[in-house]
Amino acid sequence: MTFVAGTALLAVVTALACALPGVFVVLRKDSMLVDAISHAVLPGIVVGYFLTRDLESPLLIVGAALAGLLVAVGSEWLCRTGLLTGDAPQGLVFPALFSAGVILVTTNFANIHLDTHAVLVGDLNLAAWDQLTVGGVSIGPTYLYVMLAVLGFDCAFLAVSYSRLKVTTFDPQFAASVGVRTGVVNTAFMFVVSLTVTAAFHAAGAILVIALMIVPPATAYLLSRRLPTMIMSTAVIAVTGALAGFWLAYLLDAATSAGMAVFFGLIFVAVHVASRLARHLRHRRRAGRTPAPVS
Amino acid sequence: MTIASTSHEDVLAQGQAEYACVTRNLSVAYRDELILRNVDLRVPRGVVMGVVGPNGAGKSTLIKAMLGLVKPLTGTTEFFGRPLAKVRQRVGYMPQSATVDWDFPTTVQDVVLMGTYGSLGWLRRPGKAERARAMAAMAQTGIADLASRQIGELSGGQRQRVFLARALVQSPDLFFMDEPFQGVDAKSQQAIVGVLHTLREQGKTVVIVHHDLMTVRDYCDHVTLLNRRVVASGPAADAFTKEAIRTTYDVTDDDGFLDSLAFVS
Repeated sequence: MTFVAGTALLAVVTALACALPGVFVVLRKDSMLVDAISHAVLPGIVVGYFLTRDLESPLLIVGAALAGLLVAVGSEWLCRTGLLTGDAPQGLVFPALFSAGVILVTTNFANIHLDTHAVLVGDLNLAAWDQLTVGGVSIGPTYLYVMLAVLGFDCAFLAVSYSRLKVTTFDPQFAASVGVRTGVVNTAFMFVVSLTVTAAFHAAGAILVIALMIVPPATAYLLSRRLPTMIMSTAVIAVTGALAGFWLAYLLDAATSAGMAVFFGLIFVAVHVASRLARHLRHRRRAGRTPAPVS
Repeated sequence: MTIASTSHEDVLAQGQAEYACVTRNLSVAYRDELILRNVDLRVPRGVVMGVVGPNGAGKSTLIKAMLGLVKPLTGTTEFFGRPLAKVRQRVGYMPQSATVDWDFPTTVQDVVLMGTYGSLGWLRRPGKAERARAMAAMAQTGIADLASRQIGELSGGQRQRVFLARALVQSPDLFFMDEPFQGVDAKSQQAIVGVLHTLREQGKTVVIVHHDLMTVRDYCDHVTLLNRRVVASGPAADAFTKEAIRTTYDVTDDDGFLDSLAFVS
């Protein structure tokens, strides 16, 4: 596989792995939690690297994902104390974890070589550097197979807990009343989000991962009247945006993750304007059909 | 020994037959504010009980605490003589419709099908049998023709009927309904009242949170007047009195508040 093809494929798989759990993040109105998690996994990554010496180790990814889970669990706990409201608890927890991570990186703990730029926006090309070869033939970046495994895990989780996720997202109180263990569902889902964010960290960094996770489902939300439709359109938008963004960055010789984020943003604006326009036209047509009031 | 244990079970069975739900010494607080204090409540089987009281009296909180959705400070609730976890399938809950996001991308039928999720495991999806039950519940509440509509397109009354159908799908023996008549049009009101009558004929028990004093007598045969504590509870004729209403709503005869309730003894 050529380097370009492998990297493009990595972009597509990363976008899909992020966008699919993103559907439920958007429906739960929890988008900024992704941002908090993506910052909070940094100390987990550094400590994980100290222990495993491999940025793509599954152990590192799971460990860092647990650090990301600290934001979800910690802010929920702070919320329950009743001392803080809104998303203030999140704002308290994740900067502390992120800054701990930054201090660890800058003091050269673990000799991890992450520069600030890569931490913030990731670098897809760098992530794709390590090629996996079987029998002397390159079969694409090693990282591609890590992301494929994460994508498979995400799909399996969503398939198994689809009904439960749906009912706890739509009406948590009713879900609890019919015996769904909403706490378990929430924590499991947050772990999946955290795991995905951690795995996508090298490709998209702490800041841009939220664009991959939120913008495609937010766009699909505008188009969908049913959940399966929303999931399908999210997948289509994620793949299209990833390829187009990759191509844009390739042409301009710019950062790939930023190119993808820009393209997702453009798709969102286009869909938003188009759906507003369509609604407007429908109203006009309906208004035209009704007879004018007799004066 | 056998005889003794049988008679003990008989006593238990009698207790179960008498009450659908018994709450003892229930207290609930949000942060440092006490919402409910030492509430004792018995709901006899086969009655429609109205929980009535002013805004902020803790009516919804009472239902949620009974169902374990809000953690009480003290108190226990038993359903048919057993803890909720053992009899969950026999207890249905219809929350206030304003508590959910009606722009959620889903259809009327999907929401009604959610009523079957409790009896399905993690992996099983609603099948033919569940769909048939959902269809029957939608027909009973008069929304069968809306089955494939996106829920955002519904009127307030239709939304209430979707929630009612979702509770009916479980075919529970005891229903909790939180303000089922909130913001409904005449047609929806009729449909909901029709369902209430059917449920009563079937011998089901219904607890409804209700705020319209004028219609309490029409819908409910038992009444609980609530304002942070139980002021009165029992058959409507005994509990729903002018004196009790005066205490619950903290009004005097000069306010004119009670004049419209001339039918109340």
